[in-house]
Amino acid sequence: MNQTEQPRLATGPLPTAEAAAGADPTAPTASAAPPAPGRTRPSSLSALGLAERYALLALLVVICVGFTVIPTSGEVFSSLNNVNSVLRGQTAVALIALAAVFPLVTGHIDFSLGATTASSMVLSAGLMSDHGTPLVVCALASVALGALIGLFNGVMVTRFRLDPFVTTLGVATLLGGLIQWYTGGQTIFRGISSTLTDYSYSKVAGLPQVTAIVAVIAVVAWYLLAHTPFGRSLYAIGANQESARLVGLPVRRNVMLSFVIAGTIAGAAGLLRLAVQGSATSDSGTSLLFPALAAVFLGATAIRPGFFNVAGTVIGVLFVSFSVNGLTLSGVDSAVQYVFNGVALLAAVGLSTYLGLRRRSRG
Amino acid sequence: MTLAPDLPTAPVAGDEALAIHGLTKRFGATTALDRASLVVRPGTVHALLGGNGSGKSTTIKVLAGVHQADAGRLAVGGREHDLATFSAADARAAGLRFVHQDLGLFSGLSVAENVALDAGYPVQARSRVQWRELHRRVGRLLHEHELDVDPRTPIDELRPAERTMVAIARALQDAGPDSRERLVLVLDEPTASLAQHESAELLDRVRRLADTGQTVVMVSHRMSEVLSVADDFTVFLDGRTVATLTDASPTEDELVELMAGRAVEALRPVDSSSATETLRLRTEALAGGPLRGVDLALHAGEIVGVAGLVGSGRSSLLRMLFGDLPSTSGTAHLDGSAYAPTSVADAMARGVALVPEDRGREAAFAPLSVADNLSVTRLRRFWGWRGMDRRAEYAEARRLIADFKVKVGGPEAGFTSMSGGNQQKVVLARWLQRDPTLLLLDEPTQGVDVMSRVDIYRTVREAARRGSAVLVASSDASELLALCDRILILREGRVDEDLTAESLHPDDLTRKLLRATSVREEDR
Repeated sequence: MNQTEQPRLATGPLPTAEAAAGADPTAPTASAAPPAPGRTRPSSLSALGLAERYALLALLVVICVGFTVIPTSGEVFSSLNNVNSVLRGQTAVALIALAAVFPLVTGHIDFSLGATTASSMVLSAGLMSDHGTPLVVCALASVALGALIGLFNGVMVTRFRLDPFVTTLGVATLLGGLIQWYTGGQTIFRGISSTLTDYSYSKVAGLPQVTAIVAVIAVVAWYLLAHTPFGRSLYAIGANQESARLVGLPVRRNVMLSFVIAGTIAGAAGLLRLAVQGSATSDSGTSLLFPALAAVFLGATAIRPGFFNVAGTVIGVLFVSFSVNGLTLSGVDSAVQYVFNGVALLAAVGLSTYLGLRRRSRG
Repeated sequence: MTLAPDLPTAPVAGDEALAIHGLTKRFGATTALDRASLVVRPGTVHALLGGNGSGKSTTIKVLAGVHQADAGRLAVGGREHDLATFSAADARAAGLRFVHQDLGLFSGLSVAENVALDAGYPVQARSRVQWRELHRRVGRLLHEHELDVDPRTPIDELRPAERTMVAIARALQDAGPDSRERLVLVLDEPTASLAQHESAELLDRVRRLADTGQTVVMVSHRMSEVLSVADDFTVFLDGRTVATLTDASPTEDELVELMAGRAVEALRPVDSSSATETLRLRTEALAGGPLRGVDLALHAGEIVGVAGLVGSGRSSLLRMLFGDLPSTSGTAHLDGSAYAPTSVADAMARGVALVPEDRGREAAFAPLSVADNLSVTRLRRFWGWRGMDRRAEYAEARRLIADFKVKVGGPEAGFTSMSGGNQQKVVLARWLQRDPTLLLLDEPTQGVDVMSRVDIYRTVREAARRGSAVLVASSDASELLALCDRILILREGRVDEDLTAESLHPDDLTRKLLRATSVREEDR
């Protein structure tokens, strides 16, 4: 307010310097400059988006081709026997990965899924071995146990508002302890139903039947998450719980359900793992959880980048398992799988964080 | 008007606190800034105005060293800087200081610690923090900035306006009261999250800073505030500087017309009301939370404003009607039958919709797409045995984007890729697609630029014309007057006055509200 010149209106991009300097008394009249063309925000380049979506799938193809071509692993790696044995061996990991997607979509992590699988495996093995319980009852019991553990997690997290990380870690530790106590550190191998173990070797269309079950569960999970209002609500809850509540979504119920679904799938995984292994070890299941989590996080960088999704998870599982298999066949020490899973998990988290940041800065 | 592509060198150097000429910035194929200019005189408050995508935010980001310009020259205090390589560190070295809308204060820490995190803690041997020295130093800084606050106060205990002032003091801490002219303070939407009396306090402070020689560049969507404090105005439209007003007192309409490139009628009251005689909502002695017995009647097609100071129960009233806050006593009737929602789903089933106050926290699904953000209130509609019908969903989203004039690439674009105004339109569209019988709006244009406000007002009026009853809670007097048929003043949880908007002037309304404050303060 220290200058006393007349209020003036200068228009257009040009005359402002003069106006500020107080040079031109005959400033042009007010008229808006024509709008510049193409005033839309830069959208993500479609080619880049496509590359991002299918990068993991492409990588899977590359490593498969690679291990087939390399002479040290090639012949065995590409044999149907090897493929089937990898698929069969990864049944539990794949199911745990699919299970983990549900709570993760809502923004909660479930660390107890590996232990849930291990417990349900020990439960059904114990029922068969010690009590001669019929297979059907064992199957129902293992699934029910998984659902129950999921319900417990869900109640703790939604009703009592406990931190999901700590709660499920606690549950995992507790279950690990119970397994040790029940098995006494011994492997249960006597009295396992041969119907069950034989089933794991049966094939459908050249692939193991257990893999077909995983595929069916994957399709159901995909349908639930991507193609029902329920699945959509889980993504909305994961995006913003408060907003989800204020558009009338049943936030607590659906978060609880996501834990129950996860537990149920993990319970079923226990039964299938027993079928594949033919015995139940006293392992607490962490060796199953970490490759599964690596797969899920890798999966979140693919197909629907930035979001946990079923298709990406399936690709992630295949990527992790065939990479480890190929490396082992190439003569690398078998400890490589832990290193690989760790690196894959870190890479996945790093990559999705980076992509997320880039997406936000582009917006 | 023809323009030379190469602009002449700035004729006067050294006289301006800040001068930008020929600033051009492209993002891919999009030109965000097209030879824009900005000249700021020292010791003035300079308002930077413009609608969505006008380029004012990009200009600020170039100044802050976040984006590098494709062309253009910058001089700060007469010294030229290279904009092509201008980094955040360069901006700081050049004397530019920024206070963004998100103040960058750390809750849980004290005022002094917040200041120290910027400037460093005073330490003695073995890096031990000298707390007493820090508190003394920060105390002096706060005193210089006329802030009567103990440096040890946790930042969360300050009022919003005080927090902003602490952020300003922190930004300016390396200039004493007599060397203020060395720095240029850039405030980006400083009042966006403040209530009216709080922002008045802040603007007062900004004005006094300028009077002591501080140069201030300010971005704000609130026209009345800008007019009350700024000396000079620069208006951006479509990436260009369309007007520079030096030492001027334009009217609000003049500024808005410059920003829009056309006359804007929608921000003023309209003659025709769509209110009918059909009673839609009636509450009797509704109480709960801060509400102590609210009686109101709302008719179909009517737009009723709820005014009141912070704590008067404005938001609580809307929340209660939306089933999000339980009532402890009183009754309500909606369309003739008893209405006592116990959940949001209940309220939605009765055709009630709420656009909440805090978009980012309560309405946005930031990582999701625009289509997802729209369909979230009616997911079942797109669901059949074959799953979610993505195609129908996108078609519907496209229709809504067009109807509500949302500026966005398409339904698959991310929600946060849009400006605040467009985000708000999407939130509004999300609810209006359900044809609500009762539409509750809590601060519907907070953080929304003027141009989007025009569209939002039109949309709300249109919804009323189609028969919705609308209840608008707002702290903006001119908004209530422009939009509403009647205005209820809430005071201490009760409807204190029921005013016909037509006969009111914004100042009258503000005075009525402020009278409530003074009464309250005398009570203390």
